[in-house]
Amino acid sequence: MLELKPMLSALWRNKVPALLIALQLALTLAIISNTVVIVKDRIAKIERPTGIAVEEIIAINVMAIPNNYDMIGAVSSDLELLRKLPFVKDATITNQVPLSRSGSAGTFYTQPNQEVGGEVSNRYNTDPNFINTLGLKLVAGRNFTNAEMQYFDPSEIRDINVAVITQQFADKIYPDQDPIGKPLYDGNTSHPIEIIGVIERHLGAWVDWSKAGNVAFFPIVRNTQDVNYLVRAEPGKRDDVLKTLVDKLSERDPQRVIKTRVLSEYVARSYAGDNLMVKVLSIVAATLSFIVALGIVGLTIFWINQRAKQIGVRRALGASRSNISRYFLIENSLIAVTGIALGSAAALIVNQYMVRDYSQPVLTLLPLLICALLVLVVSLAAALAPALRAANISPATATRSV
Amino acid sequence: MLKMHNVRKSFRTDTIETHALRDFSLEVKEGEFVSVTGPSGSGKTTFLNIAGLLETPTGGQYLLDGEDVSNLNDRQRSRLRNEKIGFIFQGFNLIPDLSLFDNIDVPLRYRGFSAKERRKRIEKVLEQVGLSARAKHLPAQLSGGQQQRIAIARALAGEPRFLLADEPTGNLDSLMARQVMELLEFINEWGTTIVMVTHDPELARRAHRNIQIVDGQVCDLRPVTEQPEAATA
Repeated sequence: MLELKPMLSALWRNKVPALLIALQLALTLAIISNTVVIVKDRIAKIERPTGIAVEEIIAINVMAIPNNYDMIGAVSSDLELLRKLPFVKDATITNQVPLSRSGSAGTFYTQPNQEVGGEVSNRYNTDPNFINTLGLKLVAGRNFTNAEMQYFDPSEIRDINVAVITQQFADKIYPDQDPIGKPLYDGNTSHPIEIIGVIERHLGAWVDWSKAGNVAFFPIVRNTQDVNYLVRAEPGKRDDVLKTLVDKLSERDPQRVIKTRVLSEYVARSYAGDNLMVKVLSIVAATLSFIVALGIVGLTIFWINQRAKQIGVRRALGASRSNISRYFLIENSLIAVTGIALGSAAALIVNQYMVRDYSQPVLTLLPLLICALLVLVVSLAAALAPALRAANISPATATRSV
Repeated sequence: MLKMHNVRKSFRTDTIETHALRDFSLEVKEGEFVSVTGPSGSGKTTFLNIAGLLETPTGGQYLLDGEDVSNLNDRQRSRLRNEKIGFIFQGFNLIPDLSLFDNIDVPLRYRGFSAKERRKRIEKVLEQVGLSARAKHLPAQLSGGQQQRIAIARALAGEPRFLLADEPTGNLDSLMARQVMELLEFINEWGTTIVMVTHDPELARRAHRNIQIVDGQVCDLRPVTEQPEAATA
């Protein structure tokens, strides 16, 4: 049987400690709910699909030692060698390693000599094997052909004729239209680059970039001093392939410095900050919950010790053990509900500030409700042991003079 | 109403066993007003605790209203306490955070009465003890005598057949003590059985019968009028 009215009036007469706990719970809810949305947002970011077969890919950087090295000639031989290695599915050349936080971007337009209204995109220079090597999915149009490849020196300026772009970039630059066959203009130029294919997804170079996923690929190889190859191994064979790569490339031509790194390592480095944020915030939330629980345990034990005689009197007047433990649990729930009400309001206010000034995600009702429930459960769990202890106070306490 | 036969109660620590009650036998009839006296440490409070089902005896038999209550579980004892026994404590034992109305309400809530029934009973007993106008007050706003009257009202609200009073006037001055005693006599006249532990020989003499407890045993069961102190008074 509930005793809400007398319980509330008794709490009102002891409002300072009760209010302190309620405020502690409110603060916890405000912090935890905002922490949860940030953690959830970071986890969603980390887990979003890259479109790339990250676990199967090895990145190789080859730097020629001689100044006049014929890199274009070497590229064809290297790729031919790499593609023939055991357990290698395919290999491609790229100006930058995807997801490595290193890349280049440009602004593209739909009209010649356009100066405003363009869309920024990450750009890769590669060859027709990039789709298979990266494990990308062509969803419209076609891939490059070898005939469309252009090999030239960096000092040369050549017009690019065709491009494959990501679906996301296509949706931005040609919203609600079929992009195949449509032109792209690289900067405010007048030479059209025909969009020949669309791939489902490729996150690009920078995972933190607001336009991550806007990517364009061009069939170009520039004769630079160093090149990057990407090699895709058969599933589970990446590390075996990795062991042989440097030796094989060095054997073919010892005049280069060759470095390798698996793509998953680049990805881990790209998301290191997010992973750290998730861990730190999770620890903060757990520690805060623990401290609040300790506070509740302490306060409940203090109240029970203070009211031991009163509990004995209640027992003498007919309260069963369950009446007593229920009393303290309900009392604790009233404090928790007050704290949750205050905390929900505080959480929403704090969130508005964080959304406005720090571009943090919006706190929606569901995570707020889940956090409120969590705070209530923590609060009740913390009060449970002291409440059960209170139930064991003997009714004979009522007749003791001390 | 109350019948104890060879009731024993001992308390044990690691090294010492204390016998608070030893082969304690007593019968209190329906409607009696019995006073219990004895020196400090004689076992009065232990008797009261066992009689009021606040403690369980170590041995022996205890019949309350014809029912053997020696081996009831906690829930059954709580229910019996709530339904059949009213308590009046020396220190009043009102709950300081609750109004007088809510204090009297405590045992009635455990009884499961409806809000309407509880209000009716509370108003009735407040009127009986002459404190209807103070229902919203807190215990601390009342004098000691008024607090004890509220404690009596709380004990009476459930209409118990058996009232246990532990030094009910122990914290009161003589005028207040007399008023409380008159109230208890009035309650007894209406048929409630009362057992009152007291140190005050004058109050003890006002009961129908006085029991003296010495060393955990009943040593005198004569009616008050036949006892030496009563004869000389």
